[in-house]
Amino acid sequence: MKKKISIILFTAILALTFWSCSESIMNEINKDINDPNDMTSKLIITDAMTASAFSVVGGDFNFYASIYIEHNVGTFGQFYNAEIRSSEPTSATTYNNTWDGVYANLYSLKLVREKCSEGGAEAGNYHTLGIAQILTALNLAILTDVMGDVSWTEALQPGVIFTPVLDSQQDIYSDIFSLLDDAIANLDKETIYLSLGNQDLIYGGVTDLWKKFAYGLKARYTMRLSLKTPAYADVITFANQSFTSADEQAAFNYNGSTALSPFYCMFRDRDYYGASQSLHNKLVERSDPRDAVFFTTYPNVGGSLVFAPNGTANQVQGAYSISAISTITAPTYLLSYHEIEFLKAEAYVRNNNLALADTALRKAVTAAFQKVNIGLSAAEAVSYFNTTVRPRFTANPLSEVMNQKYIAFFEEEALEAYNDYRRLKAMGNNVITLENPKNATQFPLRYTYGSEDVTTNVNVRTAYGDGTYVYTENVWWAGGTR
Amino acid sequence: MRKILLMLLFFCGFLLSASAQQKIISGTVTSSVQGEGAMPGVTISVKGTTTGTTTDVNGKYSLAVPVNATTLVFSYIGMKKQEVEIGNRSIIDIIMEPEVLGLDEVVVTAFGVSREKKAIGYSVQDVKNDVIERTGNSDLAGAMQGKISGVDIKPSSGMPGASSQIVIRGARSFTGNNAPLYVVDGMPVASNSDIQSGSGGSFSTAGNGVTGSDISNRAVDINPADIESIDVLKGQAAAALYGIRASNGVIVITTKSGKNNAIGKPVVSISHTSAFSRVSRTPDYQTTYAQGLYGVYVPNSSSSWGPKIVDLPDDPTYGGNSNGHPGEFYVPQLALGQVADAWVTPQVFNNWNRYFRTGYSATNNVSVSQATAEGNYILSLSQTSQSGVALASGMDRWNGRAAAERKLNKNFSTGFSANFSRTDIDKLPTANDAALAGVLGAPVSYNLRDYPYYIPGDPYTDIYYRGGSWDNPYWAAEHTIFNEKTDRFFGNGFVNYTAKLGDKMKLKVRYQLGADSYTTDFKDVFEYGHAGSTGIIDNYGITSFTINSLFTANFDWNMTSNLTLNAMLGNEFDQGNQKTYSEHGEDFNFGGWAHIRNANLVTADESFYKNRTVGTFGSLSLQWKSLIFLTGTGRYDVVSTMPADNRSFFYPSVAFSFIFSELNAIKNLDWISLAKLRLSYAEVGQAGSYVQNYYTTPNYSGGWFNGFPIQYPMGGISSYIPNNIQYDPNLVPQNTKSYEIGGELKFFENRLGIDYTFSRQNVVDQIFTVPLAGSTGIRSLLMNGGKVHTNSHEVILYMTPLAMKNLQWDLNFNFSKIDNYVDALAEGVESIFIGGFTTPQVRAGIGSTYPVIYGVSFARNEDGKILVDDDPSSANYGFPMAGEPAVIGKVSPDFILGGGTTFAYKSLSLNALFEWKEGGQMYSGSIGLLDFYGLSTRVEDRESTFIYDGVKSDGTPNDIARGGPSDPYALEMLHQNVKKLFKKVDLGVSVFARNLLIWTALPNLDPESSQGNTNMGGSFERFTVPQTTSYGFTLDLTF
Repeated sequence: MKKKISIILFTAILALTFWSCSESIMNEINKDINDPNDMTSKLIITDAMTASAFSVVGGDFNFYASIYIEHNVGTFGQFYNAEIRSSEPTSATTYNNTWDGVYANLYSLKLVREKCSEGGAEAGNYHTLGIAQILTALNLAILTDVMGDVSWTEALQPGVIFTPVLDSQQDIYSDIFSLLDDAIANLDKETIYLSLGNQDLIYGGVTDLWKKFAYGLKARYTMRLSLKTPAYADVITFANQSFTSADEQAAFNYNGSTALSPFYCMFRDRDYYGASQSLHNKLVERSDPRDAVFFTTYPNVGGSLVFAPNGTANQVQGAYSISAISTITAPTYLLSYHEIEFLKAEAYVRNNNLALADTALRKAVTAAFQKVNIGLSAAEAVSYFNTTVRPRFTANPLSEVMNQKYIAFFEEEALEAYNDYRRLKAMGNNVITLENPKNATQFPLRYTYGSEDVTTNVNVRTAYGDGTYVYTENVWWAGGTR
Repeated sequence: MRKILLMLLFFCGFLLSASAQQKIISGTVTSSVQGEGAMPGVTISVKGTTTGTTTDVNGKYSLAVPVNATTLVFSYIGMKKQEVEIGNRSIIDIIMEPEVLGLDEVVVTAFGVSREKKAIGYSVQDVKNDVIERTGNSDLAGAMQGKISGVDIKPSSGMPGASSQIVIRGARSFTGNNAPLYVVDGMPVASNSDIQSGSGGSFSTAGNGVTGSDISNRAVDINPADIESIDVLKGQAAAALYGIRASNGVIVITTKSGKNNAIGKPVVSISHTSAFSRVSRTPDYQTTYAQGLYGVYVPNSSSSWGPKIVDLPDDPTYGGNSNGHPGEFYVPQLALGQVADAWVTPQVFNNWNRYFRTGYSATNNVSVSQATAEGNYILSLSQTSQSGVALASGMDRWNGRAAAERKLNKNFSTGFSANFSRTDIDKLPTANDAALAGVLGAPVSYNLRDYPYYIPGDPYTDIYYRGGSWDNPYWAAEHTIFNEKTDRFFGNGFVNYTAKLGDKMKLKVRYQLGADSYTTDFKDVFEYGHAGSTGIIDNYGITSFTINSLFTANFDWNMTSNLTLNAMLGNEFDQGNQKTYSEHGEDFNFGGWAHIRNANLVTADESFYKNRTVGTFGSLSLQWKSLIFLTGTGRYDVVSTMPADNRSFFYPSVAFSFIFSELNAIKNLDWISLAKLRLSYAEVGQAGSYVQNYYTTPNYSGGWFNGFPIQYPMGGISSYIPNNIQYDPNLVPQNTKSYEIGGELKFFENRLGIDYTFSRQNVVDQIFTVPLAGSTGIRSLLMNGGKVHTNSHEVILYMTPLAMKNLQWDLNFNFSKIDNYVDALAEGVESIFIGGFTTPQVRAGIGSTYPVIYGVSFARNEDGKILVDDDPSSANYGFPMAGEPAVIGKVSPDFILGGGTTFAYKSLSLNALFEWKEGGQMYSGSIGLLDFYGLSTRVEDRESTFIYDGVKSDGTPNDIARGGPSDPYALEMLHQNVKKLFKKVDLGVSVFARNLLIWTALPNLDPESSQGNTNMGGSFERFTVPQTTSYGFTLDLTF
């Protein structure tokens, strides 16, 4: 009897054991109930916009460009090192977060593009596809503009290709233009899919505005290649199909509670910038009313403004004045209306159509005066334009267009100012004066690759070397080889 | 079945022989230890001959001895050898007593099996309760430190409840778990942190160790005073029966049960331990220069590169000499604090020493235990309360225990063990969130303690010597909370069935059902006013419930007097269920109500997890005489956390030991008590945590920013992106193959002993989140990647130079040299990030030991000399130049030597312990900052010129002198740009007290202050609560 019970018990335990670890039971136990395994494109693309604004356009690329282009002066920590060109400009860790950020965003966008293309779960969702193509073009351009040759055709295949090769900047630029052309075509198509609506944080699902944005980017990137393939008439054609007012510009607005502006966070959490002496000088030279708006004394430190000398500032917090427009809601411009007018102004100047250039420049300066965190009036802008800008424009049209653009770009659009500066130097238009004495030998002509690739991707490691190439080699569109 | 057994017995019996002129002596051998009873396997020999036998399972023996024999020798390892006159007796019953000298010789192996140590073919080391309790350490890991070879125990800080890292024979995983499995009274229990330090309170992400606070290990719930003994199963062969969870070794803890009491009345034991602690080291501060920059007093500067303190009254702005306050200077912070007179006389303050208080720890234990003929029980209650040296840090812990075992009849016995604990720990944040940053970095000219730290009438606006996002540490002590509370129950109930199957066979079946259940609630609060902002609150926690069912059957068979067989079969079922939650709040309306309801921005999250492991295992051991022991084991595990079809694994082990000293030639040498050779081989795996790829809410915390600059849902809009870690569906378990060879020698009746072990582990198919090139779009992929091998040498040496009736002197040493090499990582990957800052970082790199410190190196010429910048226009003229990113330091120590000595006179004893870790480097953010801020004595001489030791680009020695009157800020420049590493050589000694003396090459701080519980934690330090020196006493009362 006892034996029987034992045998039954033993068999029961054995059976229970095998049942308790069968594949189906184990699959059930390991099922991830906390996270979704698939996602609709409209919930993915929302963050592609946020990331494009906060991390890519408004991220570290822009923070460091602000230093190199002398919109701000690095006065502490890594920013101070960048200011005095000590290690940061050549180190692979400097831009790594944004490097990763751009590719992560491009990967999300790739999933959206695949979903919405032929064979995907949402084939025929043309408008979301078009928007994803525009954002892809923007992210890719920002990356290649600062880094030159980057991984693209072999990139974005995690677990399949571990060490993507680098593609030439020239090839990448041709992809950027095709992405934008495809986007415009897709946005023109009819679709049965609902509009993105509120999930579209930039335009609320209005496809016409996305199209204008696409044309604006075509204008910007056509201008970018002016050293290689000047096409100023095209720039004007594209710009004319873009924004006609600041209401239409591609701005990402921060609500001040669940979304805070990058420059605001940078001061609040790091306090690494001081007000730039050279920017102040340019404003003083023009009696620019924005000189009174751009800067403020360090909080709780009274007295007059103290500007940080570019390249020779002391490493100190609390001593220099700071930017006054790093407000909590200062928008990030993926592409601003004033930039479109500046692009037109430059193109007209290049084509010797000074009258139209004058008009475009006036519109640009007026729009720049009325940025939300500047808050000057159109009247103040026009008066400034007539008394200061026009005489200087007459004396040297290109110089004044580019200097006004440079000033207008303070401080959210530093990266575009940096791109312009390098293009102008390459084209022999030495019209913007920077004052950092280190620039004699150590102006960063480009950014280093991200350390995540330098340590894991031999193709990038080889291209990176020891990082000192940033001082000697221009990117392709600025006359370099890579 | 029975027939076969009989036949086997018959054949075995054949081997026995008898001869003439003998008489038969028989008897029973029992143990004096309560509960052990009859002793099988005791060797009985006739003195001066080779005649002998061993006792059977009932402790009975029968021996034919020559008629002229006079003396029988009874021996059993771990028991006192007895020589007995035979006289006219034919029945001789013996009670064996445990041997007091030397190490205890019975160890607990897998699944509660006690075995003679000599029978074991791998290295096991035990620590008994008197050793654990000796220093009154309330932390279990700390109590074990320096007492076990091959084990590196790193306490993270002097904070009460601070986590410790225990790594046995080096690391096997880069990003996963390297902690051993804890088994308490036969049941595996949770011992790790559920969260890694610096992971921002996330249960699923790895910690970077640069923000937040240390997170305690769950081992903190175990009260060292409840422990009877700890057996450390170091190698894979020792742990193989535990399967997949045991690849990092096993710490087998046996708690007190009353079993070892003498049968009789209840025993009441009351004890109290008090310990006082002080910060173990104070940095050497310069005492010449004041707060400021570039030689000028700047009252809100973080640096001390100001004027000489004596010259402060001469300052044109703040000096009193030209402002009607001769000999004084103006402190704006005093004015902010509405102090009537903001003019003070220059003075030097040691803000560090003035900040730390004397820590106090009190532990009270009460227990009642009793042993009777039918069983035994224990009831105990302990309370530990600790206040740390840093303000507002402390720990309170209650432990309640009940355990009992009772015989039901001849065959059955049943029992249980129940443990309850409540732990409440107040911590300090470290690194980028550190409150201590301001204590360490306060200018010596600033009176941090006595100057007001908030504006009167406005307690949430702090007053501080510097700007930026840091809080005054005195303000933080009142308004920053980092608390964790855990309520925990674990225990098990069991039934034992023991039966004798004939004379030679014994069957023991045990079924045990256990549970480990706890809830930990964390609360991290930066009050309104933190960093000049409106505050942050994080409430998060975990509820974990694990059920463990264990069935084992043991079969012992004395096949012949020389051959013994032991077989075991078992099954284990382990299922865990966890629920985690988090609430994040930002932007308080006002100060003083640190509650989620006071936050204007709230997000919440929760997750549920399940995991199951089912294991079936068996072992077979053979023993021939006391000479040869052979054991083979196998375990088949099925785990839920791996991809389908890759869930099951088989792990074998084999171990062999040979006792030379049982050979006749050696047996007769009096001066050798034991000579043994051990060999073993084993394979143990580790499973990954596989899930299907998923989408997740984007997370914008980290990088430059505090809190969450972007937070979904954003104005009611959500978004999801592919998770930046993906999972390889072809994941297979990681495997560790190890072999071990060792030997043990004991001399002079165990008064001198040496034990040496060499082991080699080859870890293949390492599972880790392989960092992918950023250009793949994903940060990392959980896959099989790396290969690692470890060579480990361990030596244990012990001796008793003095042993007299009332006087005994013992010495013991534990030496470990563990070299861990990374042989391969994933495709294209040369090194992987483990943790740290932008630079430097802790990484695992191919060809290097693990882990290493990686960062921007100094540029060097072909001869390896540091190149200095000889461009006169450069800011770094005459200073070293940055080179390529490279390995700049190795973290693991060259060797660890631990040791102890006890000098006992009657019942008084004096103990000293030391631990010496040689070599290994760490990055000390604190020391770097003392230089950076101009506070260390290294930057005290600011008037002489100096030449950095290096060469110029043409190879000639650097002759660029910087510094001196014409270049006054060069020293400041140098220290602001050069990051240093420090070599660790430390040696600590405690006599009665802990950590009494520390010698270390690390200037200023105790190297056992680091960033907490992650794999990299031990190699980084930044504003961590320093280690402490403790003095204490214990009062014991037993009746």
